[in-house]
Amino acid sequence: MNPASTVSGALPVERVRISDFQQWIIVTVHQLQHYLRTNRFYGLVGFVVLIAALTLAFEIDAGVAAVRLQQLYRSSEYLSNYLVNTGLFVVLAAAFFGGDALSVDFSTGAGYYMLVLPIRRPVLLAGRYAAAALVTLAVIGVYYAFGAVGAIYFFGASAVPWALLFGSLGVAIIFALSALSVAFCVSAFVRSPTAGVLITVLALYVGFTTLQATLELAGIEPWFSLSYAGGAMAALLDTDFVHFQTVPLGEDQYYTIWSATVAEGLAIMAGYIAVFLPLSVYLYQRKESTG
Amino acid sequence: MGSFEVSGLWKTYPPGDPVLSDVSFRYDRPGAIGYLGPNGAGKTTTLKLLVGLLRPTRGHAYLNGIDPMADRKGALWDVGAQIETPEPYPTLNVHEALDAVGRARGLSRDDVDREVDRCHELLDLPPLGHRIGWLSKGQRQRVALAATLVGDPSVLLLDEPTSGLDPAERVLVRGLLNRLKRDHLILMSSHQMLEVTEVCDELIFLNHGRVVLRDKVDRVAHRIRPRQVDVEFERPVPPTASPTLLAAAEAVTPVTDRRWRVTFDGSDETRVRLLGLCQKVAPVVQFANTSLVLEEAYLELVPKASEAT
Repeated sequence: MNPASTVSGALPVERVRISDFQQWIIVTVHQLQHYLRTNRFYGLVGFVVLIAALTLAFEIDAGVAAVRLQQLYRSSEYLSNYLVNTGLFVVLAAAFFGGDALSVDFSTGAGYYMLVLPIRRPVLLAGRYAAAALVTLAVIGVYYAFGAVGAIYFFGASAVPWALLFGSLGVAIIFALSALSVAFCVSAFVRSPTAGVLITVLALYVGFTTLQATLELAGIEPWFSLSYAGGAMAALLDTDFVHFQTVPLGEDQYYTIWSATVAEGLAIMAGYIAVFLPLSVYLYQRKESTG
Repeated sequence: MGSFEVSGLWKTYPPGDPVLSDVSFRYDRPGAIGYLGPNGAGKTTTLKLLVGLLRPTRGHAYLNGIDPMADRKGALWDVGAQIETPEPYPTLNVHEALDAVGRARGLSRDDVDREVDRCHELLDLPPLGHRIGWLSKGQRQRVALAATLVGDPSVLLLDEPTSGLDPAERVLVRGLLNRLKRDHLILMSSHQMLEVTEVCDELIFLNHGRVVLRDKVDRVAHRIRPRQVDVEFERPVPPTASPTLLAAAEAVTPVTDRRWRVTFDGSDETRVRLLGLCQKVAPVVQFANTSLVLEEAYLELVPKASEAT
């Protein structure tokens, strides 16, 4: 409080030394207000709605009987197959909302607005991380909602394995947190927001997927790949889940397809969070506004 | 009352030469300190070091006695800083942008609203519901300046606060700073010597990362004798009338048909004589010192400062 501030027109205001936790909430709300009005949010939600609606439309066109037959008369099988695409949306959301979450402070004037406030940088990062996670959850929530609608339409509400579906959504949230950890780390490392988004998409989607396929050709389980871990979202609902299956390619040649178990997937995701989130905090704290 | 201090401050971006070399100063009483220097002198670097946006190569910076590298939250708690061009998110409206600042500084919702209203009045801000992305550059800059004032911090660090503003906005901000300096400590970097002399009580001149002069404004102003005046006549005057002034002036340059720029020895006696001569040419509506830009001030000040050291 500045008690003598009458000449500037200020009435005495009481400023309370608020906790880091309270500031974290303030930053989260501030960041969320921003994210929810960005074109990238509307664009991504629109993209998810388009894909989900088209999928549902084609299935409805095929008819209830055909879909039931194709999905072995199991709604869990239907949901498991439907959710295979979730990883792509999570990666895109993580890149869009995490890929430039920190680099924006060092390449635009946003940093000169926020970094001069009495907020510790880890608190700023944590607020942005929480906001990005909530927005990502909103995006994948839309996709899951369409899946639930499809399952109810084709199999009836009573046949939908709600506990497993929400369990899968929980796995998707942890997957989103791990993808965001990588995106934040990239964002803390690079200076250009566009580069941050691109590198995140390339690393998480193109890079890991290619690496995973290459390793599977060599018969090696890609246990360190985040995209491999993301398979756990669908695996939870897969009633005929197999950890790996070997497919013959030719004479004495085999190709092993690996699928992460839920426990394995969660462990990999937790590992990514444990490594990349502290690393992004460290890099963000060390970074200087030299521009 | 707040304070700021830099002590033996050095900043080097390897492998280059130091941007700042052994800069030291401390202020702990209300008033406005002008921080002057040409581009690249190290003004903004000093401000960034003060708020912890940069890490010193050597030395220390303190805000209210706290090193921002050690305790950012504590150091910045009672400080408002406008450095470079702060940009709130363009998707937020003016109120939301300022609300986050006030809440982060520990104000209640009611106090934030009161503070936002106060800043709205002080700085003639655009409507609070307007999005930042819709605002003009000057409006955005005033919002950024308002962000430094929300919560009424006692120390204000301002990096060229009037650059990019139109003349009316500059007058508004200068007036505000003149009021604020009575109970706030302000460090204000600028290129405009005349502007700084209007607002500040003391000046720090920086050149090539070193403090070359530090003095009271009135003493510095005394050393910089403006040697040019702009004369505006009531009606157009022919250039052929200009030799009339050469009895007292060193040179007369017609700028327009009604305005001349007159160079003289800078003394008060000659100034009075010149005014009399001008009035013989035509009725004078304005007779004012030419705005002294920093470069000219440097030509005056830096050699003298070097001689002094």
